[in-house]
Amino acid sequence: MITFATLSIILVASAVFAIAAKSPVHSVVGLLVNFMALAVLYLSLSAEFIAFIQILVYSGAILILFVFVIALLSSGIGPFNVGPDRLPKLLIPGTILSALALGLVIRMLANTSFTPEPRIGIALGPIGAANVFGSIGDFGRALFTLNLLPFEVTAFILLVAVIGVVLVTAGESHAMPPMKIHRKARKREAIVKEHH
Amino acid sequence: MNGYAAQALDVIWLLPLLGALIAWTFGPRLRAAAGGICSAVVGLAFAGTLAELVFVSRWTGMHWGFHQSLVTWVPGFTLGLQLDPLSLIWSLIITGVGFLIHVYSIGYLAGDRSIARFFAYMNFFVFAMLTLVLSDNFVGLLVGWGLVGLASYFLIGYYIDRPSAVAAARKAFVINVFGDVGMMFAIVVVFALFGSVSYTDVFAVAHDLPSPVLALICLGLFTACAAKSAQVPLHTWLPDAMEGPTPVSALIHAATMVTAGVYLIARCAPLWSSSPEAQELVGVVGAITALCGALLGIVQWDIKRILAYSTMSQIGYMIMAVGVGAYDAGVLHFFTHAFFKALLFLAAGLIIHELANEQDIRKMGGLRKRMPLAFWAITSGVLAICGIPLFSGFYSKDAVIYGMLLHGHPILFAIGVLTAGLTAFYMFRMWFIVFFGSDRTEHGEETHASSWTMRIPVALLIGPTVVAGYLGIAGSASPWSRFLAPVFDGARPFEVSTPLNETAVSSLVLIFVACGILAAYLRYGSARATSRDTLRLMREAEGIPLFFRRAFYVDDFIRVLIVRPAQIFGAFLSRFIDPRFIDGLVHDVAWFAGVLGFEVRAMQNGQVRGYAFTLAVGVVAFIAYFTSLGGVR
Amino acid sequence: MIVPPLYYIALSAVLFFIGIAGVLTRRNPLIMLMAIELMFNAANLALITFSRVWLNNVGHIFAFLVVTVAAAEAAIALAIVVVVFRQAPNVDVDQIAELKG
Repeated sequence: MITFATLSIILVASAVFAIAAKSPVHSVVGLLVNFMALAVLYLSLSAEFIAFIQILVYSGAILILFVFVIALLSSGIGPFNVGPDRLPKLLIPGTILSALALGLVIRMLANTSFTPEPRIGIALGPIGAANVFGSIGDFGRALFTLNLLPFEVTAFILLVAVIGVVLVTAGESHAMPPMKIHRKARKREAIVKEHH
Repeated sequence: MNGYAAQALDVIWLLPLLGALIAWTFGPRLRAAAGGICSAVVGLAFAGTLAELVFVSRWTGMHWGFHQSLVTWVPGFTLGLQLDPLSLIWSLIITGVGFLIHVYSIGYLAGDRSIARFFAYMNFFVFAMLTLVLSDNFVGLLVGWGLVGLASYFLIGYYIDRPSAVAAARKAFVINVFGDVGMMFAIVVVFALFGSVSYTDVFAVAHDLPSPVLALICLGLFTACAAKSAQVPLHTWLPDAMEGPTPVSALIHAATMVTAGVYLIARCAPLWSSSPEAQELVGVVGAITALCGALLGIVQWDIKRILAYSTMSQIGYMIMAVGVGAYDAGVLHFFTHAFFKALLFLAAGLIIHELANEQDIRKMGGLRKRMPLAFWAITSGVLAICGIPLFSGFYSKDAVIYGMLLHGHPILFAIGVLTAGLTAFYMFRMWFIVFFGSDRTEHGEETHASSWTMRIPVALLIGPTVVAGYLGIAGSASPWSRFLAPVFDGARPFEVSTPLNETAVSSLVLIFVACGILAAYLRYGSARATSRDTLRLMREAEGIPLFFRRAFYVDDFIRVLIVRPAQIFGAFLSRFIDPRFIDGLVHDVAWFAGVLGFEVRAMQNGQVRGYAFTLAVGVVAFIAYFTSLGGVR
Repeated sequence: MIVPPLYYIALSAVLFFIGIAGVLTRRNPLIMLMAIELMFNAANLALITFSRVWLNNVGHIFAFLVVTVAAAEAAIALAIVVVVFRQAPNVDVDQIAELKG
């Protein structure tokens, strides 16, 4: 219980920090803490394989990708800047909306009586033991027997993602004309100003 | 063997439709060839009808006729065709006279740009008319009834670049639709009472109906008759319909379509025979029409209008005859009239064609030598229509007039006799003015010679014009009456003993006819009358009372009583109801859509976060729904 | 398991709505993407909790698939961000409004 409370505090705090931080780099740090804490939480739920995947993929791959992109975008052009806020009014409603939805869900959870019927024939065991619930052996058997097709589909999704990324980043300079977002945006701003 | 005959009937019925479709589809490519194809199609149909007459009567004897089911509409309501003596007579006239008129049209309309369209309409008309007479139920009858109205509309307005033709077509169509509504009303009543629309079912129990209901049905049907057969006061479209090409006037507005009312009453003889009120009404209206047509025919100067009014008058005779129960006589008069009136129109068409579309008889005169064929054709037609012995009209018209007396209507009899005299007067008036006297034509140079396709049908029609009436010799013992006996035997109304026998009646009629001819001769034919006839005719034209010139003000009455109120009502609707309610509704819907679109467009601002917010609102609403209404308990 | 499973679910909900709030309120595409990752993780937490409660590792499988899809999504989204950034000097999702109706 103490572990859970501690981890909860860390998770919520790091998540709020991540979305509230001014700089994306700070967000990445907050997210890193969040993911690590989540991995620990997974361990407490006997999901040892997912916990490792969490660290490997999220902390190791995705966050590094974020950092890499931040570095790429900030190099040579100066600080990473963001244009004027076009939907300033969304800050408060967005927060209120989220809080409202959260309140509803929590209320629902409070009114829920939850009586699980655990599967028979699989044992819980200490982390790291073989052939207990959530162990790599247990997970692997499930993945490569019953759920082989979804697994293959995953591979296909990743392939498509790779091709998509290559197309988006490499092809645009030759095939697509520049989007000229900036000029259009300025024109639009001028129009908006005229109206007001 | 009946199976073959029934299948052949299908073919006969559908052939003209095929011809119409061909002419319609390939018209621009066929051009003049369309005339030959369409004529051949109608000719084939005529040959088929003749074969039906010969073979079916041989196989089944005198009491013959058969049904051919076509489709089962709702289970229990089979629509089909039937061929019995009555529909056979009409089919023979439609296809036979129709064929001759088709051939005639090839010459008459040669060189016309849209000749294929004309023949498509003509074939379509033949198909529609066959549908009307061959149907074995009221629904098919109504379909044919409406289609012939449509075909008539097409053909009257054939010269689409002539405003008067288009107006006449519209007038004819509107009045015909008025009649269609009456018929539809009658059919609805029939269906409500009998639960069937088939002739056999309805006629089998017609006697048992209460008389007011029967009279109501007959009134509805007679409205349709009056509109289609140009009976007073719905006759005004017929003279205007002469705007169509002359072959059209011959086929539709003389021989076949306008006699559909006669067919309807003859077909519904069991209904009429059970309803004395309806008989009275139809007889009186027919007599009035006969008299009015004759009176108006006297004051016309347009040769086609003279023939149109004479048609109206003769149909009045037929309607009068079938109305009072002299069905054999009425149908016989239809039969002979189809020949001699078609002949008159076609011969008039020869004159009109030769004189470059001149229709005014004041500008003809002395054509006897110049156009011998037209002269002899019109002479035989005039003799027939006047009822001169040995010509067909004598037998049929005398049968009609005698039938009035036989069924106890002496007043109608008197009107019939009087009208016969008037008929002789106006027909011979036309005859004298056109063929005798001085040549008053103005188009001496630009005449068109008539081609053989026009001459041969005219020559061929002279034969039946003379002999067609011989079938009716000897009254109820004639081959004609015996042929029609299966149709009318169940519906023969009582006959009364008459003070005059047939010979006496014929003599009386002939005296009136002779008086009419004599008057016409003295006024238009004698040597004194033909000298300086141009001036005399002009003066006479000026001297016609306005009452006659405006055709008894019927058109004006209709205009004041019906058209004006309808126009005012329409104006009221278009002024107040339409913009506020109909248009208003449409505009409101459009306005609402516009506002909605404007509002929704604002949401499509391309802002990803805006979309996300909308999505999140939806999610929250979804969660709220589930948590409050209990998706999870 | 001493901690009631509903606590885990509640925690998952809190994280999820923090993610939603992040997507709605931030304009930096990178931070929005990170908020989306946060939402993925919240969902994963719920899956793994239920999996543990029912002792059924289908939830694990599903979480694994979610991780994979998240990786693919992050890769593509970041690629798009890079492309957009090449065209314009500042990165603001509010300016990428080419699909405006």
